[in-house]
Formats: sequence, C-alpha cells, structure tokens
Amino acid sequence: MLSRDQIELIHREIDEANTPQESAAFRALMDENGEARALEADLRQVAGLLGQAGAREPPPHLKRAILDALPQPARASPASEPAWRTLRTIIGRAVGGLKLGTEHLGETIMTKKAVLIGSAAVAVVLIVASIVTGWPPRGDEAGTIGGVEPAARYHGHAMTEADVTLKNPEIQTLFQNDQILQLVRSDAFRQAMQNQAYRLILASDAYRQIAAGQAYQQVMAGQAYQQVMASQAYQQLMASQAYQQLMASQAFRDLAANSAYQQVMASQAYQHAMASQAYQQLMASQAFRNLANNSAYREMMNSQAFRDVVGSQAYQQMMASQAYQQVMASQAYQQLMNSQAFRNLENNSAYREMMNSQAFRSIVASQAFRALQASEAFRSLAQSQAMSQAFMREANRNQN
Amino acid sequence: MDEQDRALVARYLEGDGEAAGDLVDRYQTRLFNVALRMLANVQDAEDVTQTVFFNAFQNLRTYDPRYKFFSWIYRMTVNESLNALKRRKRTVTLDDEPDIRAPGAAADGVAEAEDRVGRALMGLRPDDRAVVVLRHFVAFSYQEIADVLEIPVRTVKSRLFTARERLRLSLREQVS
Repeated sequence: MLSRDQIELIHREIDEANTPQESAAFRALMDENGEARALEADLRQVAGLLGQAGAREPPPHLKRAILDALPQPARASPASEPAWRTLRTIIGRAVGGLKLGTEHLGETIMTKKAVLIGSAAVAVVLIVASIVTGWPPRGDEAGTIGGVEPAARYHGHAMTEADVTLKNPEIQTLFQNDQILQLVRSDAFRQAMQNQAYRLILASDAYRQIAAGQAYQQVMAGQAYQQVMASQAYQQLMASQAYQQLMASQAFRDLAANSAYQQVMASQAYQHAMASQAYQQLMASQAFRNLANNSAYREMMNSQAFRDVVGSQAYQQMMASQAYQQVMASQAYQQLMNSQAFRNLENNSAYREMMNSQAFRSIVASQAFRALQASEAFRSLAQSQAMSQAFMREANRNQN
Repeated sequence: MDEQDRALVARYLEGDGEAAGDLVDRYQTRLFNVALRMLANVQDAEDVTQTVFFNAFQNLRTYDPRYKFFSWIYRMTVNESLNALKRRKRTVTLDDEPDIRAPGAAADGVAEAEDRVGRALMGLRPDDRAVVVLRHFVAFSYQEIADVLEIPVRTVKSRLFTARERLRLSLREQVS
C-alpha cells in the first residue's frame, strides 16, 4: 500500500514539479515498488489522454463577435457604461426605437418592437390593476380580498369596486389621476380583470415574485411611472386607431403566441445581439436615422451574435410564419409605425425616465419577469379578446 | 508574457483600438479551451469567452497592473464558466454527451480521446475540473493555478491529485 507521500511524489513527477532530490526518490520508488509503477503508468496514461485531446481552435467568427461587443477604448470607463444588459434594453427600445427604414432586417426588428409594445402594455395594465385592486393580496392590507383562499382566487370572482382597496398610498395617488381612474372603472377593464388568463397570471409564482420584490414597489411608487401613465403621449399611443387595430388583429395575436417567436426572444443569441455594444451604439446614435450610412448598424448586422439570431431555426420559422407575414403586411402595423402617437411616446421624458430607472431595470432583468413573459398565461392574456377590447373601448372613450 | 500584456492594456486604455484585437488574438484560443473543457459545450464556451472579454475590457481601468493580466483573465474565465454551470441548473453526469468536437473536424483518434476525456472531466466536481483544466490544457504550474483560483498551492495539489485519481478510475471504467 502506497503512502500518501509516495502517491504525491508520483503525481509531482508527472507534473515535473519534483526537485532533483525528489526525482531521485521517485526513481528509487519505481525500482522497488510494483504498485507505484502501476500507478505511475496509469497516471501517465491519463495525462497522455488529456494531452491527446489537445486544444481546439475557437470558431473563426469568435474574434469578430468579441470585438463587435467591446466598448470603444475612449469610453472604457466602467461608470460610462451600464453594467446591466437585460430585457430592459429590448423593452426600452421597443418604444424608444425609431424607424429602421426599408431594410429587411430592420423591418424585422421593428416588428419585434411592435410585438413588445403589446407585451409591455399588458404588463403595465397588470401592474396598475394589481395595485388598484390590491390583488393578489400581500397579506397586510385591509380591504383587499386577502381572505380568499388561493385555490378560489381565479374561479368565479367578478371584480367589483368593493374589491378595491383605498388604504394603499400608491392607490390613493393613482386615484388622483383621472385617466387611470377612468380606465379602471371602464367595463372593458373589468372584463379584462375577469379574464381567466389574467387570473392565471396573477396566481403564477412568477407574478408573485415580482409583486413581492422591492424593485416592483419602487417602480409603482415612482413619480416617473405616474407621469407615464398620465402622459398624453402614452394615452395617445394607447388610443390611436392604428395601435388598437394592431393589438386587436388576429395576425398580431398569432404572432405573439407563436412558439417560434417565443424561442427567438428567449434565445441567448438574440440576447447577445441586443446586448452587444454595436447594437447599443446604434440605437443611441444620431446616425440611426440615416441607417444606410451608419457603420455601427452594419457592424451589428455583421456580428456573429446577430447572425446567430437570423440563422436560428426558430427565427426562420418565425419569418416564414403566416402570422408574421400578415402583421408585416397589415395596414395597422404600417399606421402604427408612422403614427404621431408612437413618436410622441418615444420622445416622452417621463417614459424614458421610467425605462431608465434602476427599479424598472431590476424588474425586467429579474428571472421572475422573464418567467412571467414566457408563461402560457401571459401569452394567453396578450392575445385575449378581453384585453384588446379593454384598450379599444378606452381608446374610443378618449377619442370621444 | 506579462510585459506584452501590460503594454497592450496600456495601449488600449490610451485609445488604441487595435490593442483590443491583439489581446483577443493572444487569449481567445486559450480562454475558449478553458471554457470548453469546463463546460463541454462549444456554444456555451463561445458565450463564456465573449462575456469574459466584454467584462475584461469594461473593467480594464480597474485592473491593477501590479498583478498578472493572464491570472486575472483566466480567473474570470473559470468563474464565468462556473456561473454558466450553475445557470444550467442541471447536474452534468457521465451520461451527458459532451459537445466539444466542433469546431474543427478532429481525426477519429483525437475525437475518441475528446469524447472520453470530456465525459471523464464532466464527472469531476467543477472546482476540481478547473484545476485539471488549468494544469493539463493550459500547462500552468501549481503556483500559477493557485494565483488564478486564489487558493493555496497545497489545495491545488490536493484537488489535482484527487481529480486525477478520479479520472484514472473513470477512464478505466470507460474502457472496461
């Protein structure tokens, strides 16, 4: 039986880490001990196999992809670049982006943005609704429906004004906003609140995690959020006929529910493309409006991360889907992209402030938010007729 | 080696964009291989390599040149690989098929060695695997491994010897 010291001596010899004296001791051990010789042979075989596996050449595109994503040297200060690279980028750009012109890929990005607008709108409604109704209950708020057992939460309970708590300070603030109050009191909104998909979302673990988070609370309490909800630009966008038509269109719903689309949005390659420095620069640049001459745009389009996205099977499926084609061809989509309301919202300072707030970033970067977005319930809600009707009716009221 | 690294870092911080390409040239293959052996997945290794470079360049101004650049960036690679493993949220066992052959069409004998080694490596604890990878695929000394992983040399030896013994048994099982 070899001692621990003898075993280590053999290992160190294989690693060429022995001193001359230790190597001499090793050779002596080999001469006199068969077990040591067997161990040494085995270990050398292991080392040989590891060496035989050798080094792999990295993919040829890797260097380009790395350099595409790097910050410019002059802007290498950590303080100058946000550390987070999350869905905030995607959602923020969803409304903050501008026209990408006639480039095919550009159109694709805009389509994603349009879809995400709907997604974000649903999220906003959920957030507002949960605050106003105090549902799901957080446990210590008088006047909520906290006494309802979890299993009964989404079975047959029609939301009424009696369910609305007035003790919550956020709600008191919201009730000072006429437009929000008008929305919440509308039949369409109530209908949406009773929607089975909505209830499933509120019952989901993902939603509960978000609602319990400090970041969520901060966003809700933030002045920026209040301003966004009350802003004319937001109301105009929500009320615009083009937006309503798009949201209500079967094609849009089909696309939002399209599994291929979901795969693309969730794919790491897509995340990389969105997070790449080239993309960030592009979206922030003045030259964005003059796309054809923008080198950052070309860099991003040529980046491996972006190519991974457009080369993925999921992406191809989405592009080939009838739903995608219908959305792209729809007049509603074209109108939305060209609408003044869309431009107003993206220029709205309150909206930008909220999108850039740390609290909002924390939410959209959270695993819970991602899980929520990926949940079947969320998708169902996004395509629910009740939700579309809620927006449409409120739009009509505002227009009238 | 370290002087060249320092010079490239200094050039980059002075605004020389080409220095970034030079640093990538110097390290991308080695970092990619560390990540590949840690993760046994080409795509994940690519992601880790990209992330490491992105983070490294983002934080170059905070990098203390008194320390070795390669220790710093290898440490980031190992840590990012460990994070990637955690994100997988699944236990990689010997039954998992390693995806390390691509890119590059390896000869049959090498491919077989890749598979055997990949499976055996993934059977190790990640911390032990990191030591083996740095020793056998980067040819670091005990001291260099200790610097990268920020652990004592005796811990490096202990992990390496234990891991190699496990590899020996694992590879023997594969043969039998």
